[in-house]
Amino acid sequence: MAEQEFQPKIIGFFCNWCTYAGADLAGVTRLQYPPNIRVIRVMCSGTVSPHHVLRAFQKGADGVLIGGCHIGDCHYLRGNYMTIKRMRFLQDLLKFTGFEADRLHLEWISAAEGPKLAQTVTAFTNKIKSMGPSPLKRLTAKAA
Amino acid sequence: MDKIRKKVKSLLTEGKVAGYLGYILREGHPLPHLFTRDHLAELEQAVVPPGDARYPLDKILQALARRYPEDTFTIQVRGCDERGLNELYKWGQLDPDKVVLVGVACPQEQADYCECPGPYPSVVDYGEKCNPVPQSRRVARIDSLGQEAAFQEWLGHFARCVKCYGCRDVCPMCFCKECGLEHPELMSIGKVPPDTIFQLVRAIHMAGRCIDCGLCEEACPADIPLRVLYKKGNLLVKELFDYDTGSLGTGLSPWKSLGDEVTLETKPL
Repeated sequence: MAEQEFQPKIIGFFCNWCTYAGADLAGVTRLQYPPNIRVIRVMCSGTVSPHHVLRAFQKGADGVLIGGCHIGDCHYLRGNYMTIKRMRFLQDLLKFTGFEADRLHLEWISAAEGPKLAQTVTAFTNKIKSMGPSPLKRLTAKAA
Repeated sequence: MDKIRKKVKSLLTEGKVAGYLGYILREGHPLPHLFTRDHLAELEQAVVPPGDARYPLDKILQALARRYPEDTFTIQVRGCDERGLNELYKWGQLDPDKVVLVGVACPQEQADYCECPGPYPSVVDYGEKCNPVPQSRRVARIDSLGQEAAFQEWLGHFARCVKCYGCRDVCPMCFCKECGLEHPELMSIGKVPPDTIFQLVRAIHMAGRCIDCGLCEEACPADIPLRVLYKKGNLLVKELFDYDTGSLGTGLSPWKSLGDEVTLETKPL
């Protein structure tokens, strides 16, 4: 049987007010992007704890994409100030432990940026495809 | 030691403090003990334990403060204990006006072992100030490893975990009432070794909070180099947010408030 192309599982945490609306816009304007992303709508990207991201990786996600409002546009004024602090820290900590930190990405996407959403999801999916399955997933599969 | 006994005795007899949290020698072992005015004679047995004998006095003090919120206590502190107290003041767990310090400087040998950046407290009543160790060689070694080698090394360590929660239970800075490590939906229950992310979740909570006392590592039955992980967390907090964990100088922890401005930028895809 021919080897099938690796289809990564990507978890998206999108903020309700900007990125999720941006995804809506991408949808109604019929922009195409890969279906590998599973979107979880959150009220603010600042509610995403590093614990959630780590849990996603533990459960077999190959990539995690966080989408939030641009700085200054947060519906809750400064919620995304915490997002960037947490995610930058988590990326650096993952790097220290040898986990590919590039599997976690944070992007500011507004409700008007449908094309940017489609482009980001496409680029991120391609990147994860080229990186291959997450090492944590390989580990979990071995244990099971 | 006589200096400490004298200081504590006068604090107790003048009624300035309700108790002295220090160490007592029992059967040859230094154990944490609360000395009070009613049992002044016990002060004769008060000791400063050798460098490597330590208990989380900060943690005991939190329990005391909760139980006797009106009382002031004096506590024996090393450099790390004082950093812990500072951090606990900032997190609203202790009232600085109700704590009096009895300072102990660590011997050089201990500071070298701990790679301690501040081996003595602001008040020194016992011992000589020794040289701090500004850089951690253990962190530098992991930094110099390649990504795959670092990953394999950490996986090997994490796989030994028996999930005893000793690191959390001994930690003077773990004051949360609910713990993410026990969350049934975020952490697999009843699994040994625990999820690979177990230590990482703790490392995240320790960033900007760990005062590098090293009790976790000493308590760990599996010899997981937790301290290296937490030291790196603090280095990153310093690098990203310019926050010195355990000092009173640099304001509140970056995790305590959203902040007034954003200095970081997202990484390019």
